[in-house]
Amino acid sequence: MQRRGRDSGISQSLGKPLTKRVKESRVLLVGAGGIGCEVLKNLVCCGFGSKQSGLDSAAPDVRSGPAATAFRQPGIVVIDLDTIDLSNLNRQFLFRKQHIKKPKAFVAKETASQFNPSVNIEAHHASIFDSKYNVNFFEGFDLVFNALDNLAARRHVNKMCLAADVPLIESGTTGFNGQVQAIKKGVTECYDCNPKPVQKSFPICTIRSTPSQPIHCIVWAKSYLFPELFGTSEEDSTDVGVTESDNAEEVAKLKVEAEALKSVRRMMGKSEFAQEVFDKVFQDDIERLKSMTEMWQSRTPPESLRYEALKAEMDADIIKRGQALATQDQATWSLHDNLAVFCYSLDTLSSRAQSGEPVIEFDKDDKDTLDFVASAANLRSHAFGIPLHSEWEIKQMAGNIIPAIATSNALTASLCVMEAFKIMRSQPQEQNGLSKPTANNNLPTTTQTAISGKVEPTLGGAKMVFLNSRSTERMITTQGLVAPRPECPVCSPVYAKLAVAADSSATLQELVLLLQEKVGYDEFSITTDAGVIYDPDLEDNLPKQLTEYASAAHGNSFITVTDESDEAKVDLALSLTVTPTTSGGAATLDIIPQHISLPLKPQKAAEADGAVDGDADSAPVPASAGAKRKRDAEEEVESAKKRAKAGKAEVQEIDDDGVINLEDD
Amino acid sequence: MSEKDKTVDVPPPLQHLPTAKQKKYDRQLRLWGATGQMALEESHVLLINNGPGVTGVETLKNLVLPGLGDFTILDTAIVSEADLGVNFFLEDASLGKFRAEETVRLLMELNPEVRGHALMEPIETVCMEQDALAKYNLIITAAPIDPAILARIHTQAQALNIPAFYLHSLAYFSSFSVQLPPAFPIVETHPDPTSTTDLRLLKPWPELSRFAKEKTAGFEEGTMSAHDKAHIPWLCLLLHYLEKWKQDHDGKVPEAFKEKTAFRETVRAGDYNEENFDEACAAVLKSLNPPTPPSDVRAVLTAPETQTLQHDSSDFWIIAKAINVFYAKYGQLPLPGAVPDMKAVSADYITLQNVYKTKARQDSAEVLATVRELEKPLGRTGPAVSEKEVENFCKGAAHIHLVRGRPQHTARAAGEEIRFGDRAQALANELANEESLVGLHLAFLAWDEYIATHHSSADKAGGQALHITGTSESDLEADTEKLTGIAHHLLDTLITEAGTFLEDPDYTAVKTRIANFCTELCRAGGGELHNIASLTGGLLAQEVIKVLVRQYVPVDNTCLFDGIASRTQVLRL
Repeated sequence: MQRRGRDSGISQSLGKPLTKRVKESRVLLVGAGGIGCEVLKNLVCCGFGSKQSGLDSAAPDVRSGPAATAFRQPGIVVIDLDTIDLSNLNRQFLFRKQHIKKPKAFVAKETASQFNPSVNIEAHHASIFDSKYNVNFFEGFDLVFNALDNLAARRHVNKMCLAADVPLIESGTTGFNGQVQAIKKGVTECYDCNPKPVQKSFPICTIRSTPSQPIHCIVWAKSYLFPELFGTSEEDSTDVGVTESDNAEEVAKLKVEAEALKSVRRMMGKSEFAQEVFDKVFQDDIERLKSMTEMWQSRTPPESLRYEALKAEMDADIIKRGQALATQDQATWSLHDNLAVFCYSLDTLSSRAQSGEPVIEFDKDDKDTLDFVASAANLRSHAFGIPLHSEWEIKQMAGNIIPAIATSNALTASLCVMEAFKIMRSQPQEQNGLSKPTANNNLPTTTQTAISGKVEPTLGGAKMVFLNSRSTERMITTQGLVAPRPECPVCSPVYAKLAVAADSSATLQELVLLLQEKVGYDEFSITTDAGVIYDPDLEDNLPKQLTEYASAAHGNSFITVTDESDEAKVDLALSLTVTPTTSGGAATLDIIPQHISLPLKPQKAAEADGAVDGDADSAPVPASAGAKRKRDAEEEVESAKKRAKAGKAEVQEIDDDGVINLEDD
Repeated sequence: MSEKDKTVDVPPPLQHLPTAKQKKYDRQLRLWGATGQMALEESHVLLINNGPGVTGVETLKNLVLPGLGDFTILDTAIVSEADLGVNFFLEDASLGKFRAEETVRLLMELNPEVRGHALMEPIETVCMEQDALAKYNLIITAAPIDPAILARIHTQAQALNIPAFYLHSLAYFSSFSVQLPPAFPIVETHPDPTSTTDLRLLKPWPELSRFAKEKTAGFEEGTMSAHDKAHIPWLCLLLHYLEKWKQDHDGKVPEAFKEKTAFRETVRAGDYNEENFDEACAAVLKSLNPPTPPSDVRAVLTAPETQTLQHDSSDFWIIAKAINVFYAKYGQLPLPGAVPDMKAVSADYITLQNVYKTKARQDSAEVLATVRELEKPLGRTGPAVSEKEVENFCKGAAHIHLVRGRPQHTARAAGEEIRFGDRAQALANELANEESLVGLHLAFLAWDEYIATHHSSADKAGGQALHITGTSESDLEADTEKLTGIAHHLLDTLITEAGTFLEDPDYTAVKTRIANFCTELCRAGGGELHNIASLTGGLLAQEVIKVLVRQYVPVDNTCLFDGIASRTQVLRL
């Protein structure tokens, strides 16, 4: 058996040039959870960043600005904010029982390093939103992997990679499905080219007054009743919000109702506490709702529940019965059962609250809180004639639980690294180690042309890859990468940097002049996350110092320059970087790179009058178009089915450990 | 990344905690449930590891994490430098030790509830023993292995009804195939949630008709309030319009597409705005299908195992027969009983649910009675078929699936020709399709054939008796040529057996594709790329889980993966 060194397998399969590139690479892995653990293992076993640079002492500092890219130290950087939980262990294989509550990033590094001590892993237990992870930081990598579980962080990394012009491999799984997407500024669609559903927030009146689905009652129990009794109040919950459809008068009444509940809370610890709470929320409040006859003209009114009557039909030791029932989480409890569990869980939670837990938060894995929410939600469902559910089912709905298994993570992570190979193969080698221009004004339609003049496939043949391991025919399928959407607000701008010296007294006025001079703007506006700070009719802020905006921008957000003239150029997105104090003559305000040329915005198709704020997706449809829209919707269903048959299901995730929408289109 | 931090550190009283196990496995229990988990925990998987052995170990990783009961790794290799570079479950200190022991030890760290065992005996001696494999529930063999020994393993597995997997993983390519028992029925197939549930709208039972009549009385005459009309459940609307349609069409229901769209128009005309009418219209095409069971289900109902019950027939076949009796009597399968979500007042919806549930219980009770009748003359010794099992079967009757396992299609012992038999035709049809991975299968077959015919002397260092293509630089070209030659010969055999003829340029094109696969396989020199091993381990473990928990439909029977195109293909061989 010849040719058998430690790395021989890798170079034999990848070929020497790619192996070299892989070893010399510096990659960022955002997230060390299900996919992250697997990606890290694969990166380590495939030799990513394993070249010993011998430059350890000259490790680049992330804050040292553009110079950081000059010496790119091979290695893998892992960032994760999370700590390890018991329910991670069925798939996040770098973690063991003894690691519970420790930071994922550190433990992942520790376990993976045991395998190959020579590998260069740098672990950060931090939020990717932290200001130190600015555009300069992202520029220090050849490739970024997203192994995240929430939309906000995904979108953020997407934007940072676009700004830094670093290829990103985005991935996600739910149950048996997975998806991998390679993203490169100006070459492919970005993560935000396709709008993502936003987290569903329920109108407060639906939750508090007119529930019609089990989830409404669950949200009521979890985000209203529970916090009112044991924790902080509803104001903090993102599940419920006052929406336009809410009736202001009703909202005011609900406030009074909540106040009354607070006084019931003071009864905690007394034997009649459970009955007090019950009478308040399932009798009095329901009766009050029922009395508002106008609310029930097109709905079935609720029926209030009577504690005394129910209790009279039950055995003496109601709490004991509740305790026994609480272990049967697969069964759908009867009305009396629910009352028993309600009393039992209130009893348990009260004694916890009185023995030193001033605030108890709902946690789907804290059984007492789940018992309470499940029974209270069911009691309310009963009052409103809504079907009851088992605690197991309620846990899934209340906790926004996404099924997750080892196999899907292993598969998705491997597909990520496969795409990484393709991208690395397609990158010109010279790029590594040299600082590159940061104004990535590739036209969206540019196809990459190799030096030989031969047209290369997009990103070395990288694809959109879909996993459906539940399928028996087409487990892994691909789709060609799509060119960027020209109107995408996130990837259509040209990204550049605005360097402001820390001691600079440069004002917005100076920036305006600089932009006019460098980019040749006529009429334009400047926007920060907080809103418009300058436009032809808004000059109040001109004397303000830019450092004000820089500090408010936390170092990793952007100010956007929008051309307001008739033949508008694409937007210019500037990341603010505060550079060290300049000594002497250097400019205190500078745009990097020196030369910026902005292409024109694509011509939009004749637009409907009065489209507001450019948000065409939500443009109202005239009522007469209703019938047509329905037909279209039906056709959409049909074609979605066809696509679903082709084995492609798009995985879309919503917010923090949030509900996943598995859309078949 | 951000499960909400607990601000509370005081743990709740112990007896109230869900068992730690349930909590640990929560995310997967939501897929295969407690029964699936129990099946997994009672299983013992044997891995016969050969070659670099990474894919097999990665597969086990994905089985140990979710809580497999036992696993055994049979492997005689000693850990080498090359192993350390590619196998995550080895460490520097493993060098020079038995690979079986080291990988078992490190895999067991993943889950203390799983028991791992290492066997360092050569497989040749192990599988000479009678029923040596009987204690395992599933066997995975990794290539390269002497095809004669592989055949022995597969024959034993077949005799013992043990599912057996065989895998290849080389450079960017991999494949695995599964040999299932000749009858492998699955009740819990977890059909796509969007697949239609049987609502029996074309053949309503009296209670359902009565309910629909009640709910629709007077709405067309205008004696019903607008509110009530807008809340007639769409099921009732369809039943109402179906009655009318039948009166106008000699008692026939709309069958052809055109009739259905015409029918939909009559429903639409009932109201152009209300949501419940929208729902009714949307449901016309998919809900008005005659209750013909899908072919998969008919295959079960007409299977010889169903027709002729024996004293040792499994519960599945007895229930299948009872269902068949039911089907013969009513021309329908038992009612599943689920009602989709719809616009309705809650009270009506609950009543409707009860109408369906009651009927489903009746059907299931009838099937159970038949099961009891069937059990009597059989003289079975074990426990009677459980009521719960009958209920489950009735609920999923429209989606049950039967896999007819086939013997593994692998290279034979030296001197025996590879035959394609009854699959020749189907495989030959794939040849002209340039997307098809059938060429990769031929290349892997050729690779095994090469091993069968190129035993190197057994006294070579390390005792490695098998000669792997491309393991030395100097042989690479010659090996590639030989391997390609074997693969091309297999191609010709296939074409001849299929009794077809492949015209140029297709013939040359498929030969080139096969040659390319062979070149890649040779270049790998028997080496695995970790990433492909990991991916294949994911695919394979997923199928192993399906087979062990008897849920979801497993691959039937060979899955090929091309890492360059990031694509899988399943072939039935």
